[in-house]
Amino acid sequence: MSGKLALDAKGLSKSYKIGKLKQSVLKSVDFNAFHGQVTMVMGPSGSGKSTLIAALSGLMKPDEGEVMALGENLWKKNRGKVDKFRLDHCGFIFQGFNLFPALNATEQVEQVLKYCKVPKAEAQRRAKAVLESVGLGHRLKQYPSELSGGEKQRVAIARALSKQPQLLFADEPTSALDSVSGQVCIKLLHQAAKERGAAVIVVTHDPRLEAYADRVIHMEDGKILSDTMVAEPPYLA
Amino acid sequence: MSLALSTLLYEWRRYFAAVIALAVAGLLVLAMTGMFMGMAKSFTATVDKSPAHLLVLPPQAEGIFGDSGQPRRMIPMVYQHPEVIEVQPMQINWAMWSNFPKDGQPPKGDGVRVVVVDPIKGAVTLPSDFSDQIIEALQEPYAVVVDRSSLGKLGVQVGDKAKMNGRTVTVAGVVDGYPNMFNTQVFSSFQTAKLLYVADDGPRVGPLLVKLRDPSRAKEVAAELDAIGAGQFRAWTRDELSKSSQTGIMKEGGIAIMVGFMALVGVFIGIVITWQTLQGAIMANIKEFASLRALGVSMGSLRLIIMELSFWVGVAGLMLTVVLVAGVAFLAKWGGVPMDFPLFIDIPVAIMLMVIAILSGMFSLGVLKKSQPADLLR
Repeated sequence: MSGKLALDAKGLSKSYKIGKLKQSVLKSVDFNAFHGQVTMVMGPSGSGKSTLIAALSGLMKPDEGEVMALGENLWKKNRGKVDKFRLDHCGFIFQGFNLFPALNATEQVEQVLKYCKVPKAEAQRRAKAVLESVGLGHRLKQYPSELSGGEKQRVAIARALSKQPQLLFADEPTSALDSVSGQVCIKLLHQAAKERGAAVIVVTHDPRLEAYADRVIHMEDGKILSDTMVAEPPYLA
Repeated sequence: MSLALSTLLYEWRRYFAAVIALAVAGLLVLAMTGMFMGMAKSFTATVDKSPAHLLVLPPQAEGIFGDSGQPRRMIPMVYQHPEVIEVQPMQINWAMWSNFPKDGQPPKGDGVRVVVVDPIKGAVTLPSDFSDQIIEALQEPYAVVVDRSSLGKLGVQVGDKAKMNGRTVTVAGVVDGYPNMFNTQVFSSFQTAKLLYVADDGPRVGPLLVKLRDPSRAKEVAAELDAIGAGQFRAWTRDELSKSSQTGIMKEGGIAIMVGFMALVGVFIGIVITWQTLQGAIMANIKEFASLRALGVSMGSLRLIIMELSFWVGVAGLMLTVVLVAGVAFLAKWGGVPMDFPLFIDIPVAIMLMVIAILSGMFSLGVLKKSQPADLLR
């Protein structure tokens, strides 16, 4: 898997209307991401990085431009198909962990697998395995209120990984976490790229995360300022 | 356990207002109808507890109420059936009651409903739950028996004397199970009734109480009697008449309007509170729903979660209704207020509550539009 183009976006533009003012947040951005790589999108707030991943992941339709995701033209699909694409291929991790307070760690993961039509026994097995893989083997039955911030984020990561997504999007995954938990979290994302061959796109302005990036993209004012390969580009290796 | 059910159980405080609203709506209607049904039941108690297997009423009567009486000559007609062993008219008349106030006791005066019975064991007019002691007591002239719950209303104790139609009577005993909110019931023997000028020997009689040789053939005999009467009367089995009388009272204009109005208010309050509560509770979890959306769970699936949630809220509301109604029924029993909750009222009320819950869920679906996963990315 590693080295193949996972996402390829061309000419993405998006603007919001604020009153009578039209504000451009994405200005004809080209972007790509590869399987097996952690691509980090950095930039100050308001630089358009969140809008970029929303457009890349099928959460928000851009005004212009196209996104080829896993070889499919994402925004040519109807809404139901976009949902299905996300269900089949995308994992998300948000700054807020967004876990249902009424479900324990295992159930959080199983809940998502249920919608992926994974049989119950298989879902149970997979939920346990993925929670163990994020180091929560001892917290399987804990509810969000009994988990620390770092543990909650790991449940959220497990929930995203359980679907075995080929595209993994993370939006400021560490900004609500202390430095140790943040490290654990980014390591897990890194691992997902290396071991599972997922294309991991992380939006952050935490410079400590750069150490785990294969590629760092800086954005400002809706444009990409720089695009640096930290590691050997996999397709050259 | 499903997400909806675990959420309801885990965050029950959030949903409690909705559950309470449903339960109160249910209670409102059930307490109201329960009271009317209880009233109806207290009027039909004399039918329910009668040893008669059949009751014969004028052909147009739909129940024990509003019975305008029938000619006495129907009695020999009923006897024509070979399986009939006893026919007696049910005698209920009115008398004026007043007590003899003791020191400091307020004088009480009231019109009472005198139920005339034959104080002989097995007599068709004698309620089947009267004890031997009560039967014996009733055999004394000027002896009357009242329901325990009406002692206060009549201002007497067992053994006291009172005045009925100007004659002195003795309260010879009490019975249970004949409470009546409006008309106090007094039982007397036929002889005592005569002494009090309430016995009726006129050409018209009330419902006829009929005893059969083989009670298990009541239905068939009723049909055969109808054939004998050829439209001059109608024979009812006891259960039939009791049910028909109870439904009859609900059809009375005023009561139907009152209950209907209560139901409407209940439904309205129920929907508004349940809907708003559900909406608020969903909003509290909107980010979690949005994260499911982001992971590709379709809007339809989220709607299903909401509908399931509203279903469970309905179930919880029903359970609380049962508890509240049981409480009210207990209080009513304790206070001697006759109440009755027949299934033909309970089931529609249960359906009504579920409909309220489901409708509220449907109204709440709109909030899901706010579960835009893109809003989670800022």
